[in-house]
Amino acid sequence: MRKKNKWISIFLLPGVSIFIFVFMLSILMLVGTSFANWTIGSKITFAGFSNYSTLFTEDPAFIKSMMNTGIWIALQATIHIAIGVLLALLLAKQKWYTSFVRTAFFIPNIISSAALGMLFLSILNPQFGLVNNVMTKLLGEPFVQNWFMDPKTSFFSVTMTWLPYAGLVTILVMAEMASIPKEVYEAASIDGATSMQTDLFVVLPMMKNIIGTATILAATSMLQKLDIIMMTTGGGPGVRTMNMPMYLYRTALTDNNYGLANAQGVILIFLGLLTLITIRKIFKMDQED
Amino acid sequence: MINGVKKVATFLFIFIIVAISVVPFLWVLMASFKGNGDIMSSVAGFPNGLRFSNYQTAFKLAPLVTFYKNSVIVSLLSTALNLIVFSMAAYVVVRCRFRFKKPIIIAFSLALIIPGAALLQPLYNTLTRTHLYDTLTGLIIVYAGLGMPTTFYIMMSYFKTIPYTLEEAAYIDGAGFFRTFVQIILPLARPAFATAGVLQFLFCWNEFQFALTLTGDKMNRTLPIALYYFKSSFASDYGAMFAATVLVTIPSIIIYMLMQKQIISGLVSGSVKG
Repeated sequence: MRKKNKWISIFLLPGVSIFIFVFMLSILMLVGTSFANWTIGSKITFAGFSNYSTLFTEDPAFIKSMMNTGIWIALQATIHIAIGVLLALLLAKQKWYTSFVRTAFFIPNIISSAALGMLFLSILNPQFGLVNNVMTKLLGEPFVQNWFMDPKTSFFSVTMTWLPYAGLVTILVMAEMASIPKEVYEAASIDGATSMQTDLFVVLPMMKNIIGTATILAATSMLQKLDIIMMTTGGGPGVRTMNMPMYLYRTALTDNNYGLANAQGVILIFLGLLTLITIRKIFKMDQED
Repeated sequence: MINGVKKVATFLFIFIIVAISVVPFLWVLMASFKGNGDIMSSVAGFPNGLRFSNYQTAFKLAPLVTFYKNSVIVSLLSTALNLIVFSMAAYVVVRCRFRFKKPIIIAFSLALIIPGAALLQPLYNTLTRTHLYDTLTGLIIVYAGLGMPTTFYIMMSYFKTIPYTLEEAAYIDGAGFFRTFVQIILPLARPAFATAGVLQFLFCWNEFQFALTLTGDKMNRTLPIALYYFKSSFASDYGAMFAATVLVTIPSIIIYMLMQKQIISGLVSGSVKG
């Protein structure tokens, strides 16, 4: 038995070490220094809640970044899920194009978001971009729109770089639908339900948990969106497309205000938890299992 | 009548979905073969044959060979480290009883919900203090850690499906704990390793924000950072920029096409458990 205990320790040690190095140290540091004044080169001094009060009372850019993040979470949790679920329902009827569409739709999820940002930067480019060019041909007169830099369109343009790509939702829902027994569909059709009624009143309610999970993933992914914003607008023009990760990056690695940045990190984690709990409540996910 | 409308709507919806997924990539792929003049004048047109000059320029403008090499090294080694370390942990957690089992499972699953951006500054600080900042080793360890929750869950759920009698038989035959793991469990768990491995590899290959934050020197950066480079420094050479985008994207797409089944089953099991 002692020998087995030795092996247990040996097997756990590397994993736990990496976990401590990457997560535990980070989170301790994050929470600790969020209550400190700490800028580059300066000594760390205790500051109480001053970082938090600065963020919420004297920092309009942070408030804006929170609002944008909130709007994007809401969009992601509704439109994204709607697109993903609708496509899953359509593809579940197994047509000849099912696997092609599923594969194609997932491609944007599989490539680097830096590359995705670059793709959008190119197709929305004011000089040689595909969109402006097609618009010019359709209208018959020069169509000029600097999509990412014009304050009127920048928010919309950034949103378009991820909102349509609900491939993960589609895959999760399709996987869950595959486990519905045939008898369920047969029973519904015997009862005289049309295929749309079956989808709405039989299939969807059975998908409640997986749609909840997908909503959590979609919503919390908005607390991670940094790369594509860095590639496209950097949060600008002004702070129009600023979100929390981008603002945190700027505070930490451009302004080198580590204390303030880490207070933002704590708020970010807190919002993640809040989103998770709220969505679980909405979908009543904690009542089962 | 209503049926017809439904058919048209379905077709349109699916057409748009496929178009927005594929057109941006195909367009950049085409543009990467065009001359700079063509890029401006025939925006939607096909390129005249396959000219690789943009790719040559891309390799000249940025140290793409180094970036490529770094990406391959980091992705492969980090995937190996991640799989070895967390398959061992997952095995012990599934098969053994010990005191800190619950806390370990809880701590590992909490890691899943930590937004990456929150970890940027702390990890930057840790790596600076341990002299791992701006090294590939630092990136490899950080990626292995960040990919932990997914690997851990995939391995755990797979190990649970392996009947314990196989291990019992091995013990009776005199194999020790370690030998049983290596000779009985590892070969059986190959599908799980494939799934977790592909996901981890793609994650490392595509990762941007930690690569940008935790490395500084040109010689230690990975491929996605090359794009940031082109965006800021060589913004006028669009052809080269397109070529670089294609170079970053193609490996992910090829791996996806080859390993689709593993990727999907991994994503499904990973997210449902999470």
